[in-house]
Amino acid sequence: MTDTAAARTAPDRAAVHAWLQAYGVYVGVAVLLLFNIAFTDHFLSAENFRTQAVQVAPILIVALGMALAIGSEGIDLSVGSVMALSTSLVALYLGYGPWIALLAAVLGGVAVGMVNGSLIAFVGVQPIVATLALMVGGRGLALVLLPQLKDVRDPGMRALGSGDVLGVPYPVLIAVALVAVVAFTVRRTTFGRQLLAIGDSRPAARLAGLPVRRVLVYVYIASGALAAVAGFLATARLQASDPTSLGTLMELSAITAVVVGGTPLSGGRVRIGGTVAGAVLIQLLTATLVKHDLPPSWTQMAQAVVIVAAVYAARERGKR
Amino acid sequence: MNPLARRLTATTALLTALALTTACAKSEDDAAGKSSGSQGGGQVAAEPTKGAKTCTIGRYGGKKLDLEKATVGFSQSEKEANPFRIAETASLKAEAKKRGVKLLSANAQSQFSKQISDVQDLISKGADLLVIAPLNSDGWEPVLKQAAAKKIPIVTVDRKINAKACDDYVSFIGSDFVEQGRRAADQMIKATGGKGKVAILLGTPGNNVTTERTEGFRDRVKQKAPGLKVVFKQTGEFAREKGQQVTEQLIQSKPDIDGIYAENDEMGLGAVNALKSAGKKAGDVKIVTVDGTRNAVQGVTDKWIHGVIESNPRFGPLAFSTLDDFTSGKKVAQTIVIKDRVYTRANAERDLSKAY
Repeated sequence: MTDTAAARTAPDRAAVHAWLQAYGVYVGVAVLLLFNIAFTDHFLSAENFRTQAVQVAPILIVALGMALAIGSEGIDLSVGSVMALSTSLVALYLGYGPWIALLAAVLGGVAVGMVNGSLIAFVGVQPIVATLALMVGGRGLALVLLPQLKDVRDPGMRALGSGDVLGVPYPVLIAVALVAVVAFTVRRTTFGRQLLAIGDSRPAARLAGLPVRRVLVYVYIASGALAAVAGFLATARLQASDPTSLGTLMELSAITAVVVGGTPLSGGRVRIGGTVAGAVLIQLLTATLVKHDLPPSWTQMAQAVVIVAAVYAARERGKR
Repeated sequence: MNPLARRLTATTALLTALALTTACAKSEDDAAGKSSGSQGGGQVAAEPTKGAKTCTIGRYGGKKLDLEKATVGFSQSEKEANPFRIAETASLKAEAKKRGVKLLSANAQSQFSKQISDVQDLISKGADLLVIAPLNSDGWEPVLKQAAAKKIPIVTVDRKINAKACDDYVSFIGSDFVEQGRRAADQMIKATGGKGKVAILLGTPGNNVTTERTEGFRDRVKQKAPGLKVVFKQTGEFAREKGQQVTEQLIQSKPDIDGIYAENDEMGLGAVNALKSAGKKAGDVKIVTVDGTRNAVQGVTDKWIHGVIESNPRFGPLAFSTLDDFTSGKKVAQTIVIKDRVYTRANAERDLSKAY
């Protein structure tokens, strides 16, 4: 409806903006790929793609949860701290083996998500404030549970971090599976449709009799659980639990991936394919700058440019 | 129950469960053990250079006192979450206990404003002497004024403050980070034969430790081994994960890299992880790191790391003996540079217990 309203006044520009918002990220990925193939040594190798895929997996998993939160017209700033909490819980429970450790980590993520969701849905706190509180408190709790870095010795956990199936590393397989689950949830389930309706207009959703509060709590639980899985996988790969630095600034990478991928911050729409491409774009951008040995501060500035470009492409929609 | 109350009850229950997690937790056993962590290998001051400036209590102001009857305040800058800070705090506490001195301590949790108020608190709680591990070099005027009014002697450890020695504070005890960089370069030159390509994993940008460890390394390589080229310089932010990720990119795009200089042990251990998962063998890429943590020295005995330059955090003995000398009227140096060890294959196994 917004698109048609804009189309009446300036059909061409609106169409270009809509197209850029939806597909600009794929163009960006293609440009970066071509640039690297042309100018980066040893870029076209299976090993290199494996490295990029393994590194992007945690960002992608966190971004999936972030996409749900943003789709419901919210945001989840606590994801990085949930990763830290997850890594602390893994260290505490690894004595029982990796699966119990994973369970403990996910329960931790669910608990944080429940607090986030309850604050937002029942107490009426703004998402940015509620999740900011958990962002600060979550890392604090993580450091209380595990005050310093601890090495992982469990062979199963180590295999998870470095092993693969037919050349595809476990973290990548898990990320792909989670993408499929979240995409199915958003597109094909009642929960997905309710989430989008709430993101579009919360008063309208309430009037229509949708279980607004319950859906919102589930959204933040999903985001917390996904961030916990990302923290678990990052721990397996690092072969150590490091609650001090794991997941720092992850919320920014995840928000960038979602927004660049064409999901509007105003809610009501979730683009999973775009989110995947957005995460890949950030990863390729970092890889390109690192491989060409450009000053580290450039990476942050380049990310800023990408965010501004994405917001610019989305601005027509914001003017409704 | 209404839905709100029900939710809150459920949430509270979950949080309580989470808070109690430690009760039934079962972590992996630490095979390495942590017995001698804080005790072994106290610092030794390097030979003072001729004409080094000294300080006496007469010049500084204040009165002589018996250290054993005094109260010492210690202000730590960062959370004790990394081996360096853990060993530093433990060493000061152990030395205070050994000497029977009353020690008050505070931790600024990486917030400078908290450190300022911490030190002010320590003064008002009756500290006669202060040991400060500063988070920043600047911004100490308010505290220094307050301390000067009470003539409280201050010793800063591991980082300098920008103020006048023997006027605003007594002396600074710490490592020479530029020298650490030079010694790391020496190790790298020895390992690579002085030629080839090396990468630097930089510390956090804008940190003086990063700048000085880079400067020392770069200058020594330029001067002693022009055949050794630094072809890659990226930040690993002093963290293992970042060091691992950057090294993964590095070995994809520059598979012929000969050496990696990591400006702290954690990034070096991340580099080892990356090399291992890329199928490299121990010693294929020469790694030199700075710090001297137990994990890194263990890496030397496993032949994955070529050499570790120590940055000794055990300030306790030297800080207290300096305060003791000063308060009993003896001369103390204004800048006390400590002698850091180097761990190589020759001594790593024997000296593993001295690592922190």
